[in-house]
Amino acid sequence: METFVLIKQVPDQNAKAGINSDGTIDRAKAKRMLNPFDRYALEAALQTKRQHGARVTAITMGPPPAIEVLYEAIAHGVDRGILMTDRRLAASDTLATAYTLAQTVRYAGRPHVIFCGLQTTDGDTAQVGPQLAERLGIPQITYCEAFEIRDGIVVARRAIEGGSQIVMAPLPVLITVANSARRLAYPTLRGVQRVQRLMRDEAARAEAIQILNLDDVGADPERCGLKGSPTIVAATEKVGEIGGNCQVFQGQSVPQLVSQLTQAVDLFRYAATS
Amino acid sequence: MDCKRILVFAEQVNGELQPIGLELLGAGRRLADKLGATLSALVLGHNIAHLPPILIGHGADQVFIADHPELAEYRTLPYRRVITDLIKSWPQPPHTILLGSTTTGRDLAPRLAAHLETGLTADCTELDIGPFEYTNSKDPSKSGLFPDCLYAIRPSFGESLKARILGPWKNPQMATVRPGVMVPLPWDGSRQGDVIPVPVNLDPGDLSLQIVETVRNLSQAVDLTRAKVIVSGGYGLGSPEGFELLRELAACFPNSAVGSSRKAVDSGWIPYAHQVGQTGKTVRPQLYIACGISGAIQHRVGMDKSQTIIAINKDSSAPIFKFAHYGIVGDLYQVVPELIRQMQQMKGEINERANSQPFQSAGERIPILQGR
Ligand SMILES: Cc1cc2nc3c(=O)[nH]c(=O)nc-3n(C[C@H](O)[C@H](O)[C@H](O)COP(=O)(O)OP(=O)(O)OC[C@H]3O[C@@H](n4cnc5c(N)ncnc54)[C@H](O)[C@@H]3O)c2cc1C
Ligand SMILES: Nc1ncnc2c1ncn2[C@@H]1O[C@H](COP(=O)(O)O)[C@@H](O)[C@H]1O
Repeated sequence: METFVLIKQVPDQNAKAGINSDGTIDRAKAKRMLNPFDRYALEAALQTKRQHGARVTAITMGPPPAIEVLYEAIAHGVDRGILMTDRRLAASDTLATAYTLAQTVRYAGRPHVIFCGLQTTDGDTAQVGPQLAERLGIPQITYCEAFEIRDGIVVARRAIEGGSQIVMAPLPVLITVANSARRLAYPTLRGVQRVQRLMRDEAARAEAIQILNLDDVGADPERCGLKGSPTIVAATEKVGEIGGNCQVFQGQSVPQLVSQLTQAVDLFRYAATS
Repeated sequence: MDCKRILVFAEQVNGELQPIGLELLGAGRRLADKLGATLSALVLGHNIAHLPPILIGHGADQVFIADHPELAEYRTLPYRRVITDLIKSWPQPPHTILLGSTTTGRDLAPRLAAHLETGLTADCTELDIGPFEYTNSKDPSKSGLFPDCLYAIRPSFGESLKARILGPWKNPQMATVRPGVMVPLPWDGSRQGDVIPVPVNLDPGDLSLQIVETVRNLSQAVDLTRAKVIVSGGYGLGSPEGFELLRELAACFPNSAVGSSRKAVDSGWIPYAHQVGQTGKTVRPQLYIACGISGAIQHRVGMDKSQTIIAINKDSSAPIFKFAHYGIVGDLYQVVPELIRQMQQMKGEINERANSQPFQSAGERIPILQGR
């Protein structure tokens, strides 16, 4: 069985480094991390390895440092990694990203199941998974919380508003994994040792992690990056005040502050009538 | 260009329209009027002939309805097939397509966008129509002046930024919109509109995924969206026990609930169902009390439509003071207990006064409380 898992490196939103004073991200300075949602996808992929001996391939598209998330995946037990990196990919929106990833998946083999995170913390769209499934012409199961694969069929539970749903589909299928699914465990000792070896030994690294560009996978540059993206971020605006000025109470004793507040807002009205 | 169209996807569950569809019609009506366009609603399901009049009464000029047993419950591929077939049967694509950022809308919208090879902006909190002038030296084919584009506005990654995302080069321009953000138009029974059946031609492959079982347990959901008062806690609580204090404050109000920021949820202090914000719930209570919440844009978009916002934060420069209506700068562990004390004291005084008026019936006490 062949399992692919798609992971992305994102800026670490908890680290203040790389966040400009106007709130935009300086990607060169920002600390980087594996997209937290993709950890659930990784765990799901590793489940197919444990249960069915699947060969697991992690795929990421991004600038060269994104190879770090492939090392991280390998430390957790993933068999091989693929880095799609190319200057022509800059400014890709989700449509262009999904196209590039579809070409990369086709090049990399014929997976029975593809796992994606539910969404990324930087793009934050939850679109790339379904768009990739559409390009590959396969069914999708989004918001997956748990699954089982047997005899070429996947049975999965997915979250929906106020409840859940059990669905059943033949392979191949693309699954986006919800963050209510199983958490990723710690890296394995074997995995960590393998990464250490790969970092020392360029030949071993090249065998375990393929680094590809658009030409390698036969992607049309016109459909990638800025050119292939139907949307752009036209403007960012700083969010200002809403309904006028905030009346702020400070610099006095706490009982005084609270009294001032309760004189300004009729809290007791809410207590009585709400 | 005549015959411009704004298309709204209206979700139904078991034959019941979901609120998001009417919210989208409210937003869509405004866009359609600005654009001089027709507002079309699209509804798929089975035995749903009762739905189009509701959609028309809430603003749709016309309703496309696909009624078929295989469409009874939402599934990606059959819905994708019917909708893309319909759109491709039109001489020109809609100007804009709007869907909800629900589990259904977020499942369906990207498949439609990929199929139609067009742009899609996720989880918008504001929409507008306006002009856009663009020059790009790297891709001159995109340069030009575009008079009527969809402005899809959503929070961005940064702490206090909104991004305006545009894609005027190709129609349809697509967006998903968060539930609870847009306001439906009041029902108007005198509105007229056409109801147009949509042909359903499914492929066997569209039916490969089957639904075994659907369980909805709505009573279990934390009812943040219906509470009149929400007391919300953030990372400033410092520990899960902080929420005990907030529950006490919430208990001072009869119709109340406890909310939280994502950082408190991510810290494992309170379940996800309590989360308010971009990736949680959108709420608009009469009163929102934010305790130890900094007011990041992703939190703000979920609560800034609240009627009155009170912030308690020890940092006077916290962004929440930029949009709250009232604020106390102080340690929530001092302020909240004092607030509870004053609330209870006041309640006691009121009850005492009510009781000291011997001839008053219980029913007549209520105006006294309201008069406070
Ligand atoms: C894609 C994406 C989606 C997101 N979705 C959401 C979402 O849905 N909802 C959401 O809330 N966030 C969301 N976030 C996270 C958001 O950006 C912020 O990180 C988060 O809202 C911060 O939570 P907070 O205010 O509780 O914590 P902080 O920002 O750490 O603020 C804590 C505040 O508490 C104050 N404080 C500390 N101690 C005390 C004390 N003793 N008394 C009083 N005040 C004190 C501090 O001064 C500070 O202002 C999202 C982020 C991203 C990138
Ligand atoms: N550049 C990328 N490389 C690999 N996978 C990606 C990339 N972007 C998105 N994905 C996958 O698509 C999911 C949803 O991303 P998004 O649509 O950006 O919220 C992620 O959790 C990943 O699994």
